[in-house]
Amino acid sequence: MKKILIVDDDPNIRDYLVALLEDNGYDTCTASNVKDGLKIVKEYKPDLITLDLEMPGEWGPRFYRQLSQDNELKNTPVIVISGLSGKDYAISKAVATLTKPFDKDELLSIIKENTL
Amino acid sequence: MFKKILFATSATEASDHAARVVFNMAGTLGANLNIFHVLGVPTRGFSQVVLDVKTKKEVAVDGEYISWVEEEIKNYYANQLATCSNYSIKVAVGVPHREILRQARETEPDLIVLGGTTGSKKDSVYKSSTGSTLQRVAKASPCPILVVNRPAASFWGGLSNIVFGTDFSKASDKAFDFALKIATSINGELHIFHALDITSKNMGMSMPQDEIDHKIRESYRMIRSKYVSKMRDYKNYSMNVWEGVPYIEIVKYTREKHADLIVMAHNSRKLDEDGPKIGSNMEQVIMRANCPVISVNR
Repeated sequence: MKKILIVDDDPNIRDYLVALLEDNGYDTCTASNVKDGLKIVKEYKPDLITLDLEMPGEWGPRFYRQLSQDNELKNTPVIVISGLSGKDYAISKAVATLTKPFDKDELLSIIKENTL
Repeated sequence: MFKKILFATSATEASDHAARVVFNMAGTLGANLNIFHVLGVPTRGFSQVVLDVKTKKEVAVDGEYISWVEEEIKNYYANQLATCSNYSIKVAVGVPHREILRQARETEPDLIVLGGTTGSKKDSVYKSSTGSTLQRVAKASPCPILVVNRPAASFWGGLSNIVFGTDFSKASDKAFDFALKIATSINGELHIFHALDITSKNMGMSMPQDEIDHKIRESYRMIRSKYVSKMRDYKNYSMNVWEGVPYIEIVKYTREKHADLIVMAHNSRKLDEDGPKIGSNMEQVIMRANCPVISVNR
């Protein structure tokens, strides 16, 4: 079963993504901030990460910066899910950038494509 | 580090990403934020008629209109101002760069923040050069200026990774002092970078690799003697020399390092005193960088 880590400070988004992804056969794990996300990502070793940009404390791009310095995790696909303006530019190596509210079929198709 | 920040804004979309940087910076550093707007552009000398920034229509300037514009700015930045207690809003009439410089002389800020050009996207100049206000302010500013020229250069969650681009000029020495001061005050990482220009100086001839390697070694020695020797206990730094087109290499290096800020000297080469130009490398870095750029001119 493919593993997805969801990093988002909004509990409604986290719950929605967990329900959506588990219903579609993925194992999920969540983090509400960058600090927890970095801790979890090392233990959980996900196949893909969905990442919010603006969060209390450190922002999503800081998470990605740390991730890209870890040889084991640096190639983990990341999907940015955010409502922030200019979000397309935040993480250039992200496999996709989705705007909140996002289309669930589009998200599932991107995840499927990147977790083969 | 920055106690007073002057944010010169058009209060339009062109300044939105600069606003994101400046409000976060002011909040993090506890700085006083002076939001400054220059009303339109006078239609002719000594005229009291200006072009409204939003409607592009001619408006007669009076106290009522100025108060209305102040209120508009307050509304435009309502979300950000809700979390910013230490701020003031001022509206002036005149030619933008002169008024910004006048305000800077009066309030003596530690930093001036400017957004991108408000020129039309249809304008061919829009994508290849900085706005004239920015160039004129940068050239005569009494303090460093921070420019956020495009959405990619906006605030992405922090300030901890600084790239200092140098051409080893005297102006670059000043910029280094400034970059080190910021890096020390935020306990961040400082990346010292020199781009070895292998294009213009050789009249189209390609430089032999042995010469490039020699110049790279020489540049590292320069970095050690000019900058590393000044850093004493500050150990959180790296240094790199890449060959290529300087502004492209700086932008690439910044992207590679996931940097939050570039610090450079803008008048590191002799410039035309009458022209507004700030130097082609600085201008191109400002246009292309994916993080804010601080230009230090003295």
